[in-house]
Amino acid sequence: MSISTPGGPERRPTVVSTGKKPAAGRPAAGDKPAGDKAGAGKGTPRAGAGGKGRKPIAPVKVSQGRSWGPIALFVAVGVLAVGIVGVGAWAVYRGSQPWQERADAIKGVVDFRKKDKDLVAGGNHQAGTIKYDVLPPVAGPHNPAWQNCMGDVYDAPIANEHAVHSLEHGTVWITYRPDLPADQVAKLKAKVQGKEKLMLSPYEGLDKPISLQAWGFQLKVDNADDSRIDDFIKTLRVNASIEGPNANCDQGVTATGTTPRDNLGNQMPEQPTQ
Amino acid sequence: MTAAVTTDADLAEAPATDDGGRRGVRRFGTIALAAAVVVGLLLGYAGGLLTPTLTRPGENSVEAGFARDMTTHHAQAVAMGLMAFQQGQDPEVRQIGGDIATGQQGEIGTMQTWLRLWKLDPTGDQPPMAWMSDGAGLVKDGLMPGMATPDEMKRLRAAQGREFDLLFLQLMIRHHLGGVHMIQGVLDEGHDKDVLLVAQTMKNTQQKDLTNLQAALKRLGG
Repeated sequence: MSISTPGGPERRPTVVSTGKKPAAGRPAAGDKPAGDKAGAGKGTPRAGAGGKGRKPIAPVKVSQGRSWGPIALFVAVGVLAVGIVGVGAWAVYRGSQPWQERADAIKGVVDFRKKDKDLVAGGNHQAGTIKYDVLPPVAGPHNPAWQNCMGDVYDAPIANEHAVHSLEHGTVWITYRPDLPADQVAKLKAKVQGKEKLMLSPYEGLDKPISLQAWGFQLKVDNADDSRIDDFIKTLRVNASIEGPNANCDQGVTATGTTPRDNLGNQMPEQPTQ
Repeated sequence: MTAAVTTDADLAEAPATDDGGRRGVRRFGTIALAAAVVVGLLLGYAGGLLTPTLTRPGENSVEAGFARDMTTHHAQAVAMGLMAFQQGQDPEVRQIGGDIATGQQGEIGTMQTWLRLWKLDPTGDQPPMAWMSDGAGLVKDGLMPGMATPDEMKRLRAAQGREFDLLFLQLMIRHHLGGVHMIQGVLDEGHDKDVLLVAQTMKNTQQKDLTNLQAALKRLGG
């Protein structure tokens, strides 16, 4: 009888027998016939307490293990419920993993926040040409003016000194080797056009056909169809900004050319275009 | 089956023979009850923790799509507004430009805060307007309804004087009309109360702007 399955027929006699041996100190909940509520495992022992004038029946010996069935059922349900809640909680936790961890999980990504903390700490404004150790650059000092990054598609190389400022504002800068086939360039263009905090430009001297930059992160891939491109954009666009989502991407330099310009925003209309 | 009489008697004088067994059952019952209470509390606590997570807008919700796409849409209005503030000739054009730029940048902050609170990325990987039921057809070259093309933005950047004022007013009227359409999308299909409240405020603002922009365009003879 002990550890019985919670099936009705087996449990019923169990409950009935309990009625005969009321347990002292239990709250008197039961004025129902003891046999009525097979499911109320722990409640059964005192079922007899409130019995209404039924014919007395000689007490029957209590079998000690009689509560095991309901308890086993209860424990099983409890474990199941905890399991369900646990799985849900785990899924939620996974989904809200910090973006840095998700970025590091992208195969081939280089995380300069780990490699070179000083480089990514922030960028001072510095006029004129700047030498960058990592090319295309991923962080560091930059010109006061940023390159426009309103989903701009540049058909010629742009200045590192402005582009790095755009990275600081949360932009993902996609660069490609000038010999990348036109259909591949078109695919990159479709990812960029019309979306702020994105820009695209050719870049001379890349060791791989395509290189993606965000502030402190770089990923090089061979092909515009590589799914890691979308992962990189989704994970790092805006997130990688050290200035948050309100940093501007317009009012910057719109011209191409690798020589930096020092003009600031309000001179934009007069800016020489190449 | 059972009777009060029996019970009373038993309570009063529990048979010594059964005492050990009964105590065991009682002890076990107490432990089980305690465990039940603890498990119940834990389940309740976990449920309380999870409920906001499970009920807040998710990755592909209307609300998240709106917050992300309207951020993009607003970003262009901010750009045009700042240009008007700097390049506009007519005082009202400069005034409206500054108002739109600061107002919509503030709304970008609100929308981005939602996304952060919902534990979602600031940007999504869905195509533009995918959250609106008739949305996909409204997108042209990746541009959402009413947005200026790169070429139009270039022209605006280069324009001066009255030419700038007129072009700005025309582009911003179109931009706002597209924006109101998108806002109506979330008002129709969204559920989050705060999103609906803010969206309604956006709609009121843009409709009021439209009246003023159209009047200014008329006044300037555009």
